[in-house]
Amino acid sequence: MAAAAFERRVLRRAAEHHYLRVRLELPDGGARPNAAQFKQLVVTALKELHGEVGAALPVDVLTYEEKTLSAILRVISSGFVKLWSALTLLGFYQNRRCAFRVLQVRPCRAGWLPPDVSSGSKLDRLPKPTAFS
Amino acid sequence: FRLFRYVLCEVISEDPRCRQCIEDRALGLAIRDAITRVHGDYGLACCSISFTVKYLNAYTGTVLLRCRKDSYRLLCSALPFVRSLESRAQRYPCFLNTLHVGGTIRTCQKFLIQYNTTQLLRLLQNCTNEEERQCIQKSLLSCSLTEEPSPSGDEEEDDDGTETD
Repeated sequence: MAAAAFERRVLRRAAEHHYLRVRLELPDGGARPNAAQFKQLVVTALKELHGEVGAALPVDVLTYEEKTLSAILRVISSGFVKLWSALTLLGFYQNRRCAFRVLQVRPCRAGWLPPDVSSGSKLDRLPKPTAFS
Repeated sequence: FRLFRYVLCEVISEDPRCRQCIEDRALGLAIRDAITRVHGDYGLACCSISFTVKYLNAYTGTVLLRCRKDSYRLLCSALPFVRSLESRAQRYPCFLNTLHVGGTIRTCQKFLIQYNTTQLLRLLQNCTNEEERQCIQKSLLSCSLTEEPSPSGDEEEDDDGTETD
């Protein structure tokens, strides 16, 4: 079973915004959404799972690459759980199967790990077992 | 230990035919629909656990709803978004006024009795003609509260015999 490499760093201060690096997977090779359609997709996901209240969450797409379909989203910290759960449960874009992969999550803007597209999600690294027995 | 919240509200409508729509199925659907619009699939699923319409009074438009204590905020915030009631392919505009939120049916009932008496007194003051005044005075003086002895338990309602006519 392939184990994804995780890393978790805990910051003490309560942050105002949370930042997520996400990638949209569209396995069929159809037309790719542009930045506005991507934002619309995120808002639609929130609206389905969390209704008008979710759709009204201030979510910003800070960067978006149409080629790789990856983006950095910013959301206010109180809506972080709603956004992540909505992205997880989104299954369709224009009646095409799709999935959001959340690659990295940070409570502040700086300090992103270099994007490693080949590996899976990089969120928690279990500490390496030491050689005590 | 099951924890519930009981929300007491009244249905207010300009159309007098709306009263015939005040039934538990129509009301439950309208409220669930409002929760879905405002809070989405998650909110609907959260509030639908143990959601029931416990008591209805079509004459006064009083409605008692029950939901879980963890999700009563979702329910209460969605109630202002109920804009119409539909029944038998007829839709009438209305809105819900939240009167009281309590932990047991008994507290809601106590509040309702007190609220109804103040409402009756206000109706008496706002009477336009003498005939209406006599009518209301007569029914006020003739109403009585019958208490049935009941075993203790938050789920049970005492018999509310106040006549509001």
